[in-house]
Amino acid sequence: MDKVVWTQKKLFGTQEKTGWLTILVLYAILLNIAYLYLNPIFYMASTMLKNSVDLLDPSVRWIPRSFEWNNLKLAWQGLNYMSALKNSVMISGLGAIFHVIACALAGYAFAKFKFPGKTILFGLLILSFLIPPQTIVIPLFILIKNLGWMGTKFAIIGQAMFGHGIRGALFVIIFTQFFRTLPKELDEAARIDGAGSLRVLFQIIVPLAKPAILVVFLFSFIWHWNETYLTSLVIGAENTPLTLSLFNLQTVLQGLYESEADKMFNETIRMAASFLIIIPPLILYAIGQRWFVEGVERTGLIE
Amino acid sequence: MQKRKRRLSIEVREAFSAYALLTPWLIGLGMFVLYPLTYSLYMSFQDVRITGDGMIMKPIGMLNYKNAFLLDNQFSASLVNYLKESLLIIPIIVLFALLVAILLNMKYPGKALFRAIFFLPVIFATGQVLTEIFYQGAAGLSILDQYNIKPYIQMNVPQVFAEPLLAVLDKFVIVLWYSGVQIIIILAGLQTISKPVYEAAGIDGASPWETFWKITLPALKPFILLNTIYTIVDLFTFPFSPILELIKHHMKYTGYGYASALGWIYFSIVFVVIMLVMLFFKRISRHSDNRR
Repeated sequence: MDKVVWTQKKLFGTQEKTGWLTILVLYAILLNIAYLYLNPIFYMASTMLKNSVDLLDPSVRWIPRSFEWNNLKLAWQGLNYMSALKNSVMISGLGAIFHVIACALAGYAFAKFKFPGKTILFGLLILSFLIPPQTIVIPLFILIKNLGWMGTKFAIIGQAMFGHGIRGALFVIIFTQFFRTLPKELDEAARIDGAGSLRVLFQIIVPLAKPAILVVFLFSFIWHWNETYLTSLVIGAENTPLTLSLFNLQTVLQGLYESEADKMFNETIRMAASFLIIIPPLILYAIGQRWFVEGVERTGLIE
Repeated sequence: MQKRKRRLSIEVREAFSAYALLTPWLIGLGMFVLYPLTYSLYMSFQDVRITGDGMIMKPIGMLNYKNAFLLDNQFSASLVNYLKESLLIIPIIVLFALLVAILLNMKYPGKALFRAIFFLPVIFATGQVLTEIFYQGAAGLSILDQYNIKPYIQMNVPQVFAEPLLAVLDKFVIVLWYSGVQIIIILAGLQTISKPVYEAAGIDGASPWETFWKITLPALKPFILLNTIYTIVDLFTFPFSPILELIKHHMKYTGYGYASALGWIYFSIVFVVIMLVMLFFKRISRHSDNRR
């Protein structure tokens, strides 16, 4: 083999091994995009610790001269952090658990069973994925009121219990696709051995479905955590989650400081508040990240 | 005869257990999807007033829809603007997700770290928090100001597209932030292509470039379609969507009937757009089948 081909292979790579030049270009692109993704988070972390002098000083870009921890304290109080955190965790945690259970059952039925009306129901599933929430928000609002859920956590969790609510349809689709990838022989063998449908589901399917369960749980948790549209309409004052607290904090701050200079100062507190809000899902992601990435690959999301 | 009867009973039993599993979801489908959907359709043809005794409805035919297009200049204007913006954003997101997913799927040191970073947007992209950060102007590309690109665009691109283009550039980073799920979908898609196909291509002397166009891209076609649909759905429920705010506003001040009509116009447009995309992909695949 001559020298030219050898260098070419080293630089640009072959099917099995990525070449050096390719890796270099790759890193350049990836680092740039990573910067775009991390930039807002760095911006937030740095702004929240600045005092008013550092904030106005253009020479102070990332690291403030003195750390102003008081911003965090003010944001903590302004958000009513502990009680709002509890509400957020309750809504997101329970919502995600209910989503996993209800959507897995429906997905299992769609993937593994033949029944009359399946095509129509699957069509309706796709339809409910496509409907923008704003189209149905008004009747939903009235329905929640009539059910007596208005202002309570049930206004959000109640929908998750039945496998709907925030992108419930997407989760059913994810589970359906995942269960389809499992070989049919698996549950047939168990059934021949005399196991009933429920037993097959819990002893054979659920342990295998861990990646899908993890993906759905994490997605559902985070989307519940971040949801503000419906939440702002149906959740009452005593159940306010963190994201809504941020809204309230803004209104309070706007009332307090009206001049332009004070608005600048508000920014630090708002950034501190934002930081406090993303910390819990960030920790959850840091813990679940490894399994999440693997899970995503194995879910084979859609055929 | 007896055999047939037994088979039938197995089928019946299967259907029965399927419906048992589906029960919670079916109840939810009725309560949270079909009922609200028909009710809002019904309300969109009514004049809805809220009084002390509850809601009073008066049928007014198509008036709400007529008003939306003829009287309400805000709605149609922002709808058209948003559609134009989406027209630019959708291809950007789909192509960007394709690029990133392919990069993340290659083999190199530090891949795990990059993956962890690139999934971050999935965590934050839907939040109020992100809106908060981007209000501070961290969303645009600094290159734009450095090289004075904006005036250049204003002078050289036709007015109809210059405005949405600038709007898109202003929130370019947000657009990229919204491609988290799409990256995941393509990554999952890449896993479905079996390794031996690449190995065979390599033995036949195909370069990575050729294998990308001849193997990877065709195999990814369904995932790209899915991504496009997901992006459309996601985009039209975007927290920054001006339409969303408008509907909320009308719900409060103009009345439920009118807000429902807006919601339905919105839904029909989303639906038509998705149908057009599916048609487009169908034609592409037919075209490439013919060529083969």
